[in-house]
Amino acid sequence: MAAENEHGKPPGGAGGPRKLDRREVLAGLSTVPALGLFGYAWQKQRHYQRARADAAVTPAATGDVQEINVALLGAGAQGQVLVDAMLRIPGLRFRAVCDVWAEYNLRRVVNSLTRFGHEPNGYEDYREMLDKESELDAVVIATPDFWHAQHTVDCLKAGKHVYCEKEMSNTLEGARRMVLAARETGKLLQIGHQRRSNPRYLHCYDKLLGEAKLLGRIVTVNGQWNRAVAPDLGAPSRYAIPEARLRHYGFKDMAQFRNWRWYRGLGGGPIVDLGSHQIDIYTWFLGANPSGVMASGGLLYHDPATHEWYDTVMAVYDYDTPAGPVKAYYQTQTTNGSQGYFENFMGDQGTLLISESEVNYAGQLYRDPNAPAWDRWIQEGYITAPRIQEARALEDGAVADVRESVSPDQHTVPVVLRDPYHQPHLQNFFDAVRGTGTLNCPPEVGYESAVSVLKVNDAIEAKSRLAFTADDFHV
Amino acid sequence: MDPQRPVDQVRRFSHEAMATIFEVHAWHPDARYAAQAAQAAFDLVDRLEHDLSRFRANSDITRVNHLAAGERTRVAPSTLECLVIARHLFHLTGGAFDVSLGTGLLSLACEVEDMTVGMTRTGVRVDLGGIGKGYAVDLMSGVLEEWGLTHVLVHGGFSSVLALSAPPGLDGWPLTFSHPGAPPRVLARLSVKQLALGASGLRKGDHIVDPRTGEPVRGRLAAWAAVPRPASADEGPRAGPRQRPTAITDALATACMLLSVDEIQGLCAQNPGLEAWIVANPDGGAIGNAQMLHFGR
Repeated sequence: MAAENEHGKPPGGAGGPRKLDRREVLAGLSTVPALGLFGYAWQKQRHYQRARADAAVTPAATGDVQEINVALLGAGAQGQVLVDAMLRIPGLRFRAVCDVWAEYNLRRVVNSLTRFGHEPNGYEDYREMLDKESELDAVVIATPDFWHAQHTVDCLKAGKHVYCEKEMSNTLEGARRMVLAARETGKLLQIGHQRRSNPRYLHCYDKLLGEAKLLGRIVTVNGQWNRAVAPDLGAPSRYAIPEARLRHYGFKDMAQFRNWRWYRGLGGGPIVDLGSHQIDIYTWFLGANPSGVMASGGLLYHDPATHEWYDTVMAVYDYDTPAGPVKAYYQTQTTNGSQGYFENFMGDQGTLLISESEVNYAGQLYRDPNAPAWDRWIQEGYITAPRIQEARALEDGAVADVRESVSPDQHTVPVVLRDPYHQPHLQNFFDAVRGTGTLNCPPEVGYESAVSVLKVNDAIEAKSRLAFTADDFHV
Repeated sequence: MDPQRPVDQVRRFSHEAMATIFEVHAWHPDARYAAQAAQAAFDLVDRLEHDLSRFRANSDITRVNHLAAGERTRVAPSTLECLVIARHLFHLTGGAFDVSLGTGLLSLACEVEDMTVGMTRTGVRVDLGGIGKGYAVDLMSGVLEEWGLTHVLVHGGFSSVLALSAPPGLDGWPLTFSHPGAPPRVLARLSVKQLALGASGLRKGDHIVDPRTGEPVRGRLAAWAAVPRPASADEGPRAGPRQRPTAITDALATACMLLSVDEIQGLCAQNPGLEAWIVANPDGGAIGNAQMLHFGR
């Protein structure tokens, strides 16, 4: 020690490599340029963004891309979200838009598409659209759940590829018909569980859980979608749909048309609207369908005259995964939006807290202090370097570097999605239409998800645990 | 209270967005219908925030901020329109209002034809904090009118205000301007209709940086700008900034914190209808002695 001090040389000899302790390594890593540290994640990000960069330009500028003729069936709030995302995807030509609310939704979306240089024809009746628009390659469906099966089956049988919003159907019988129609026609059917194409979720699935197994043995999962009270949806009175047309399409009045998600026979309530996305992630990440579910729920707050489904649901699933049994809790309530929505996976070595809404949950990872070090995964760029490092001893032989108290390591998922949430999943669908990709959520997967989610409402009604058999998930 | 008075039928609806509170004050006999209309307007703000916020990883603005030289990205029509108005105000104010905070707004190419934003150099950072709330208020008013609500006042965070028709029985919506010192005292009372108002100031202990110099603003405590609401609203990025009066006053209020008295006078002279007020504290003297000055009209 004295000699080193005298000569002012670091350990390891003059000019020789200095041995860095873990603390320095990690601290240094956090300042290394992106390519070095986050090599994998950065390149994945870059690859995704590069592929998307061309999406920014007009179809004319991407002449080598096969143009796909698309129609939107269902131009409400969700249909408009999908249009916004599709407008950023190259090589799409909107030929038609269909919505029974011709006075409002249809007009708005046609106008919006016209601004982007499309010349879509507007239809109130989807059958007329399918008859007249013979050049359509694909139809994107965002109608109320109880229409999904018929719309999808008819579009598939008309020879169109279909992207259909989740929930696949409000009934398993309807969902089954969709699976069979896709098989019979040989046409593609993608179900809109869009997290399955989100690069952040794919990174968690492929790398963090699949390859690195960062969480160890996952034993519990919890998640939620909390939403604040909001008035029922209304409509500008001057644009009300005539009653005869409403009845023709299965709605008793304008209020029910606007709030169909709350009505039995039309939608499935918040557990289906919101929970469906996240319970699908439980199943995907755990690698198994659930074996049972118990649930409690009720209409605790909203007016039963206009709300038939449960505004509050708490469900516990049993999973028998290849690694062992798992309990997975999910809640949705519509009276307080605090803490929003997320999925939280907890294993004996770590925790992953992720949400589609990155602004609220960036994809935090917590390592159990006794778990094997994650240094390798930091260096591979699978996770970010911790914000605060452990105070390991700086000298051989010392037990601890005594200092101000430190927080446990916290890492985040380094992959960022820069595009609208639904864009990667739609892109995946159109890649499959062009024959350059395979669907991330084919109808069989959407069906499994529908089986898991629709059972929650049954379990609430039954007031007892309901079991799934393997056959339940097969068509 | 006399239940027959129309002013008692003014209802207030509040919503948190863009890191502040948006409110709709609406006179309408049907409370439920008014609430649904306000909710439709708030839903629009949430969608706008998603496109315009630089804090969201997948917003249009974040994507724009990550563009390298020569790259471009497609954005929503509303994002493009907001950027086009911001550029217009940059020119109008000689750079005093700059959503790029001096990083190079003119390196942004807004292509209305294909709804893209291109970047001619790397490193430009856009923050629509000085115009987004006003722009949102403008679009909200369009939704409310579509619903048939015309006796309406909308504001975003109290700093971006748009008054449509006054409630029946009133000449205008009663508003005040107050002195930013503590305790606040009312400097002016207004009764407004068909008018957009923007406000800026140093009330929160924060500071405003002059994008032309990079120096914090001194000698100005508060500023307001007002322009009349145009008679009919056209839609879209081609409509021109005049159709978005609250976006304009939002931005001009910020600019009036920086511009000299002569510059503000010139701005009002060149733009008939524009009014501005400032509370100036030129020598950095006692805040309580600061004077309110009025320009325009």
